[in-house]
Amino acid sequence: MIAGAIIATYALLAPLTSLDAVQSAGVPLLADKLWFRIATYIAMFMVMATAWNIIGGITGYAAFGNVAFFGIGAYTTGMLVAKAKWPFLAALPLAPVVASAFAALIGLPLLRLRGHYFAVASLGVGVAVGELVQNIDYAGQPLFGGASGLFLPILSIDNRGLFFFYLMLAAAAIAIAVTWWVLRSRFGYGLIAIRENEEAASVIGVNTTAYKVGAFALAAALTGLAGGIFSQWNVFINQDNAFPIEYNVQMILMALIGGTGTVFGPAAGAVLLQLLIQFLGGSLPISFDIPFVSTDARPIVAQVILGVLLVVVVIFMPRGVIDFFGGRSRLSLSYLRRSLRETSL
Amino acid sequence: MSAPLASQLELRDVTKRFGGVAAVDGVTFDIAKGDIVGIIGPNGAGKTTLLNCISGLQRLDGGDIRWQGDSISGLAPHRIAKLGIGRTFQIVRPFGSMTVRENAAIGALFGSAEARRRPKEAFEQADEVLELVGLKAKAGLAVSTLTIPDRKRLEVARAVATKPQLLLLDEVMAGLNNVEIDEALDMVRAVHATGVTVLLIEHVMRVIVGVCRRAIVLDFGQVLAQGEPEVVLRDERVIQAYLGERYAKRRQP
Repeated sequence: MIAGAIIATYALLAPLTSLDAVQSAGVPLLADKLWFRIATYIAMFMVMATAWNIIGGITGYAAFGNVAFFGIGAYTTGMLVAKAKWPFLAALPLAPVVASAFAALIGLPLLRLRGHYFAVASLGVGVAVGELVQNIDYAGQPLFGGASGLFLPILSIDNRGLFFFYLMLAAAAIAIAVTWWVLRSRFGYGLIAIRENEEAASVIGVNTTAYKVGAFALAAALTGLAGGIFSQWNVFINQDNAFPIEYNVQMILMALIGGTGTVFGPAAGAVLLQLLIQFLGGSLPISFDIPFVSTDARPIVAQVILGVLLVVVVIFMPRGVIDFFGGRSRLSLSYLRRSLRETSL
Repeated sequence: MSAPLASQLELRDVTKRFGGVAAVDGVTFDIAKGDIVGIIGPNGAGKTTLLNCISGLQRLDGGDIRWQGDSISGLAPHRIAKLGIGRTFQIVRPFGSMTVRENAAIGALFGSAEARRRPKEAFEQADEVLELVGLKAKAGLAVSTLTIPDRKRLEVARAVATKPQLLLLDEVMAGLNNVEIDEALDMVRAVHATGVTVLLIEHVMRVIVGVCRRAIVLDFGQVLAQGEPEVVLRDERVIQAYLGERYAKRRQP
């Protein structure tokens, strides 16, 4: 609901930024290029958190390496645009295709693991793919731009910031719509059954392998789409910005904060957490001082605060903020007791 | 041996080993269509392992299982479920985040070839099944609010909702008191009356004698005896292996 309200607000107000009158009138939130960038980042994380929810929240497989699909999407579109000179909008659809094909391929062996084993193995894949992309050489030349990365030609359109914001927002809307559909479909019921008890699911006729791989590939497709948009938006991609390990944790934290297994929860979590990350990192114009912390150290402090937040959220509101603030018995002792009981399961 | 009805399920020398131990050791028997058969045996006799072999959760180390004439050894559990073999678990495994109705509907949504349905039809089918097992009044409740007997009913409801031709029940009466056992017996009879073949594992003698037409006794993974329940339970080997001397003494007037 929070996410819906924010999407609606932006969708209604964003076009106003193209009007000089509004800009000169000084509408602070939308006229500012920085805010646009932040809003696009928020939408990007809405896609990733919502996508992670499909495999992590609905299916119950804690994937810790989904950033691999973001990077693969970014490099797919990036390579097609930068090297093969494809138009961006023709190259973009291949990002989700390649990302989901890769997910299906590694999903077959990976999804045989459960619990911590799957989490660690998927984290390994996430790191390995980034290293591979940077280090694969072909005929003495780095195949994917190597350590110096890939530069994409700048898209020559008016209001580029607005265009990419809308594109990322559309991707977020697609991710949310896909989740909505999944949760009402036979496919989604099968995934939930796998999460609740995989053996019980299999003996009532759920093809657990196909369903798990399907959920993984679907999450990868959406994450890859965000990566594809990112590559052209950012114009430059390398291992650091296409495969950032911290995204793995951030998208999971967003889904947990918002509420796993729900339609809007992860997107709402993305809004809250991304704003917090930018705020703590000092990127927002509404600046503040953290006592005893220098400006340089703020991003590190931000990471620490996120870590503490993760612990607090998992223990005290395992069903997410939407449930926490929307539920009947919030902040009561019984809510805490119930939450602790569920966490310990 | 002449079976009055056509064999639906045939086990031939079914063997399953865990390390050096043969949990199921050369088990051979037939289940006729429409029959209701009980498997009894002491703890560790291999009853649950045998059920796991039939439903595909465990691969055979030897022998063959044939379903309506075709081998199903080595098939994945979901394919066996699609062929029309449903099962329950001894320790119930409900889908905890769902309501009673949703649990049953999932069975209808997947299950055997006949059960493949759209969500709306699956919920209608779930309602019928919940009525059959006596859970209709609790359809909207969360699973966590159910009592143990009700959870056992739900386990059966989910399996029945898959529209199986053969239902494997793993100790659905264990842990129930006498009144609850009577109710559960009625439930099993009601399910059997819909034309489902039933193979049930049970410790409670009353269940075997009260509802089964045939009993198979397992001991150390092997078939010790099989036949009519009253006859089998009078067999000296069965009394010694399973029921023990105390039971043997009680039987003497």
